[in-house]
Amino acid sequence: MLRYVLDRVKSSVVVLLVVSIITFAVLMIIPGDPAQLILGTEATPEMVQELHTAMGLDRPLYQQYLGWLNDLLHLDMGTSYVYGESVKSLITGSLPVTLSISVFAMIIAVFLAFLFGMLSAIKKNSIIDYFSRSIMQLGTAIPSFWIGMVFIVYFGLKLKLFPVSGFVPLSDNFAGFIKSITLPSVVLAIGETGTLLRIVRSSMLDSLNQDYMDMTKVKGLGARKVYVKYALRGALVAPLTIIGMQFAKLAGGTVVVETIFSLPGLGRLVLSAVEHRDIVLLQGLVMFITAMVIFITLAVDVLIMFINPRIKSFQRGE
Amino acid sequence: MNEIINDNTVILKKLHVSDAVGNTLVSSSSMNIEKGEIFGLVGESGSGKTLTAKSLINLLPDDLIFSADEMIVAGKNMLEISLRDKKAHIGKNAGYIPQNTVFFLHPMIKIKNQIADGFIDHTNNNKKEALVKAEGILSKVGFSNPKLVLNYYPWQLSGGMRQRINIAMALMNDPKLIVADEPTTALDSTVQKQVMELFRSINEELNISILLISHDLGLVKNYSHSLAVMYAGVVVESGTTKSVFENPKHPYTQLLIDIIPTMKIKKTEPLAEIPGYVQEKGRDTKGCLFRNRCPKAMEICETYVKEHEEDGHYFRCNLD
Amino acid sequence: MKKNLSIATGIILILLVLAMWGLSFVYMPYPPNEMNISERFLKPDFDSEHILGTDNFGRDILSRLMYGSRNVLLVGIGSVTLGTTFGIALGAVAAMLKKAASSVIMRIMDGLMSFPGILLALMIVTVAGKGLKGSIIAIAIFMIPVFARLVYSMILDTENLLYIKAAKSYGTTNSKIFFKHFVPAMLPKLVTQYSSAIGSAVMIETSLSFLGLGIQPPYASWGLMLSESRQYFLTYPYLAVAPGIAIIITILGFNLIGDGLNDMLINRRSHDE
Repeated sequence: MLRYVLDRVKSSVVVLLVVSIITFAVLMIIPGDPAQLILGTEATPEMVQELHTAMGLDRPLYQQYLGWLNDLLHLDMGTSYVYGESVKSLITGSLPVTLSISVFAMIIAVFLAFLFGMLSAIKKNSIIDYFSRSIMQLGTAIPSFWIGMVFIVYFGLKLKLFPVSGFVPLSDNFAGFIKSITLPSVVLAIGETGTLLRIVRSSMLDSLNQDYMDMTKVKGLGARKVYVKYALRGALVAPLTIIGMQFAKLAGGTVVVETIFSLPGLGRLVLSAVEHRDIVLLQGLVMFITAMVIFITLAVDVLIMFINPRIKSFQRGE
Repeated sequence: MNEIINDNTVILKKLHVSDAVGNTLVSSSSMNIEKGEIFGLVGESGSGKTLTAKSLINLLPDDLIFSADEMIVAGKNMLEISLRDKKAHIGKNAGYIPQNTVFFLHPMIKIKNQIADGFIDHTNNNKKEALVKAEGILSKVGFSNPKLVLNYYPWQLSGGMRQRINIAMALMNDPKLIVADEPTTALDSTVQKQVMELFRSINEELNISILLISHDLGLVKNYSHSLAVMYAGVVVESGTTKSVFENPKHPYTQLLIDIIPTMKIKKTEPLAEIPGYVQEKGRDTKGCLFRNRCPKAMEICETYVKEHEEDGHYFRCNLD
Repeated sequence: MKKNLSIATGIILILLVLAMWGLSFVYMPYPPNEMNISERFLKPDFDSEHILGTDNFGRDILSRLMYGSRNVLLVGIGSVTLGTTFGIALGAVAAMLKKAASSVIMRIMDGLMSFPGILLALMIVTVAGKGLKGSIIAIAIFMIPVFARLVYSMILDTENLLYIKAAKSYGTTNSKIFFKHFVPAMLPKLVTQYSSAIGSAVMIETSLSFLGLGIQPPYASWGLMLSESRQYFLTYPYLAVAPGIAIIITILGFNLIGDGLNDMLINRRSHDE
């Protein structure tokens, strides 16, 4: 099994390398002159040349790439053109916000998906089943910004239950923290619950069909033992894998929600970099976020392997 | 004579099982299992023996429908009981030993966490007491180190060991009836014998009735006290092992007995077989279902089958 | 049956959107960009001239909705078609080449797929520019690896099937094998993926427009309409209703079709066994 982990780590590193090449290529090579891009059309040729040299764009391409890569490995992502701060500090400042809403959103999604997924499977084709599945379809089609706006107006402004913008750090005030992340997390969760629910439901259906469920019938066990202890236990592998993927995707895709709720997270930073064409910042951000995504996916995969180590060998060998 | 107290473990009269579409799977089958008896239920695949057994212990798949004139299991009438009571009654009084040793134990749960939960639910014991009992039973079924075994996952054990776990699990509640569905088919022959001897000793020591399902007539002959032979969903003959083997009345039974391989067969002699195959559909006719393969079939067998019962030896045939 | 209901509903929804789209070329109540300050913020009223009301500039919402459908469908379907074409080509090429070259191609695809969708789109929009062109390119690039991977693995799987090996041994030409055997085997899965992809593409496009990086004002796009309605949402919530529902219907429609097809595929496979 250790070999499997090493394999995965190895291929993750390779993918990261490819990602770095793509990022570098897209942002440095394709626009022609990044310096021109940064300064825009109003800059004089002299200004462009100055920035050009300052950014080291006179060197041959591969040198630029290797130099950049080397800096990355030393955790130096350069200085943001727009903010003047080091990219690293900008990222570390925004990371907690993004992680908070991603984690909270995942918790909500997991709770709802398992609750309704299990119910749908147990009472297959009943009203609750159709209801869950319809809501699920709807959830994946609703744009997050739309529902976000609705929530802001209704829960935030009309009912005044939650703040409509801003982030209260955990260190400041726990209740304030929770309140500030609730609405955005719920909005994020709405998009993810549907997919997860479907997986939970189909895994549960498979598990309920297994022979070991017969034994629970003969033993005359009560519902909780039957469904949670036996059925659910056998239905965990697929949902856990999906949860890993979803969490990684969430962490990298909070741009819209952060914009609506004015949360100073990574997504907003990205948007700002795009709008101001801050190539350096954008480069660092993209690398960081993608690396985070790849790492989270890897970690979840390995975790699942630890939890159910023998399922794989069991299905293989026996 | 209605006053006679009948403490048979199973009284089944005219069981009928059909599927959601209306096909008959089992028809008009009856059997009685006495207390402390090993009862063999013999037949080919598709004969309905598994379905019959499963209907007794609440294991029939949800999409099948069954009915019977009488079905009494371990003293309770299974036809007039709520589902909840049925579950509780079966949980307390019956055990099931499946054919396949792999899939009936949950692969992700340790033995100690699944062997005892029926026991914990139906008695007032807690987990600790349950595990003590489990250890006792595990050593009885042949494990020299029960404590170690309890901590294993099912996939860490061999097939024979898993079957013993199944047996131990069935014994936890001191059941009155154990249904063993082809318990040795998936095992090698040396292990087979061990397991069958285990069944015999359980039956003799604890006086537990065992419904032994098998397609192996030889096995049933050696180990059961009584038996029933099923063909195409119908019990065609039943009675004590002695009387059925000494005096088989139904042509199917006769043929089955003939084809049991014995040591006396010459090497060059082909093994006997019954030509034809078991029909799946069209089982709800009033005629005899065996008529197409029966060497002694008569015209009347198309539409009518006579039932005989003498001294507990029952058979359905128009011959005498 | 549930799956047919899915597809049927999806098709109905898409037909609604297509109807709006088609109608937009023939008749719109008002020019979509025409501003009329004296008539701003009119609430929706079925009896009035502005059925769905007017926005903050006095532009007729229904007309903008219809006009916006053009952009949304153009970007949605256009980008996915582009991405599918390149993706299939790339996947097929990778499957034909062996070992090193195909490995490189697939690694690049893996790399592309590691980027979270919005992030990739934003990155590309930065260099390709905002607006219609940028959106289409960005989403197309996002779709390429999905289809490349799909085609690549399907070809490799099908290649090993006995009847292909048999056909090859008869001397059937490669192109004949491809069109007669591979394509029918791959088509169902591809169509399913295509439909679901359009759903995702519309979601990304509206997000991009909402963020101001997609279709630029004064042109209409549903995402843009929503973003413009943000500041007035408290006092005039109706501004967000029409574009929001239009988006939901479109995405839902394509997703339902994709899911329904997917269910059909799964069931068909189990029947064959």
